[in-house]
Amino acid sequence: MALVEQVERVGKARWWLQAFLVMVYRQTIRFLRARSRMFNALVMPLVWFTFFGLGWSSTFDRLGPIAKTLFGGLNYLEYLAPGIVLMSAFVGGFASGLTLLFDREFGYLKELLVAPASRTATILGRMLGDSLAATLQAVIMLAVLAVAVGYTNPVALSIVVLLALVTAFMASAIGTTIALMMSSPEGFHGIVNLVIMPLIFLSGIFYPIKTLQQPLAILAVLDPLTHPVQLARWAMYNVVEEPVTLAITGTLAYTILFTTTAIAKYGRTYIA
Amino acid sequence: MVDVIVAENLVKRYGDFEAVKGVSFRVRRGEVYGFLGPNGAGKTTTLGMLTTVIKPTSGDALVAGYSVSREPWKVRERIGVVFQEPTVDRELTAMENLLVHGLIHGLSRRDVERRARELLEFVGLEKFARMQVKRFSGGMVRRLEIARALINVPEVLFLDEPTTGLDPQSRAKVWDVIRALKREGVTVFLTTHYMDEAEKLCDRIAIIDRGVIVAEGSPEELKKMVGSDLVYIEFEGDPARLTARLSEYGEARLLRNNTLVLKVRDAPSLLPELLKAVEGVGVRVKSVRYSRPSLDDVFLHLTGRSLRDVEADWREALRMRIRARMR
Repeated sequence: MALVEQVERVGKARWWLQAFLVMVYRQTIRFLRARSRMFNALVMPLVWFTFFGLGWSSTFDRLGPIAKTLFGGLNYLEYLAPGIVLMSAFVGGFASGLTLLFDREFGYLKELLVAPASRTATILGRMLGDSLAATLQAVIMLAVLAVAVGYTNPVALSIVVLLALVTAFMASAIGTTIALMMSSPEGFHGIVNLVIMPLIFLSGIFYPIKTLQQPLAILAVLDPLTHPVQLARWAMYNVVEEPVTLAITGTLAYTILFTTTAIAKYGRTYIA
Repeated sequence: MVDVIVAENLVKRYGDFEAVKGVSFRVRRGEVYGFLGPNGAGKTTTLGMLTTVIKPTSGDALVAGYSVSREPWKVRERIGVVFQEPTVDRELTAMENLLVHGLIHGLSRRDVERRARELLEFVGLEKFARMQVKRFSGGMVRRLEIARALINVPEVLFLDEPTTGLDPQSRAKVWDVIRALKREGVTVFLTTHYMDEAEKLCDRIAIIDRGVIVAEGSPEELKKMVGSDLVYIEFEGDPARLTARLSEYGEARLLRNNTLVLKVRDAPSLLPELLKAVEGVGVRVKSVRYSRPSLDDVFLHLTGRSLRDVEADWREALRMRIRARMR
């Protein structure tokens, strides 16, 4: 065996791609080995759907047909379902920041930062890997909810899966950026409550945003989660509370914005 | 290019505190070069600057021919680093850790897989290739990290305190790995605060104290700086004549039990001559042994403090700090 030998490096483009893919691989297998993470990201949306959704659903049902006009002609569980799926993608994707903080805690981040690979490739790979994991959670959630509300259109369901992936990626970019600004994993849970909960409530998952008063109405439009939620409901039930073009633009613009922020922040991260 | 590392006047300042006060040295290809000094002497900071983890305040170093401050990416492609604290992925298996590292370092999949297998065998972990690293002992993790750092065929391997915190058996195994590296011609830069480690493993040692290199050389050369080896000659016969004869070679002193102690500069090379000289004085030599100064004596000689004492002081200071924080 020769420890000292001549070994060729692959070409620049190939190197970028393999650094990206190996991070996707690493993040997904880490997720699949940590069953508890899957459990965590499924529990919160499911609890909301069951204990909040079912509760209000029976209350609204007592109002009769008037209630349906509030929710664009849908019953409350139908109104809730698309948003809950994206909520699980959003919460799961946001946890990407937590994986970064734990990598720092256990020293592995140093190994990544001292590597000669493109940091853009490694952070994008990491975010995509975590997003795929979150999308898997969203798909499970979607399957459960589709059965619960009796929904079967496969095209619409596929669009929702795609939206879940985009939402998860956006959330992982937000989570990663926040994680890079923090020093310990402990503080991250506080951020979850401070940032994530308001974003979820204002996104129109639980109540219509078009009847909101100022300044909440403005905040709802500024909420990055609002737009994919509107799109998901539009895809499934043709119910949407803002122009579809705005929803598409908002979703893409926010995803690109947060992704660039995360890349820039990671590129400037000091090793020691 | 003979010198893999050329450090010139490296300085690192943190506010008012100067951790490294201008160190210069060269490491030749194929040698094991050690930074020996107490904790807080600036060893890890220097290693950090050489591995592009810490930006030098001033000065520069060429590692594998590239400047650590101007071309850190080129340097990173050509080095392997094992930090003091573990940086493994504990959820992945040993093999997966090596694969991820090799692919991120731009090797082809075929090369990575081949080298990963070879290196796991080299560090004696081939049976644990498929085990998750979280089940590894501290010594196994350290050996895995050495294997991982070697995947990309670095021109120099950096080891920061490679055996600190390991039990004696694991230490011995890590030492075996480092000796094997030396046989394979891998250039190694290591830091340590263990004198025995530096002495056993290093071709050349820089003794560092308070951010300054106070001496540099092979362990032998360093010990010669202290001046003297001690030769003990146990004999039967007339002590006076023997003392008179051997005083020509160095300061001789008679011990009670018919033993003479002679202070000489280099005992091993002088021994044959001494024995010949003794033949003429009519005494019978029963035994001869000599002792050499330890690196601790060297440190004492150079800094006026013993490495062991500095170590103890440092531990005490650390304990006080931890206690203060807990209150």
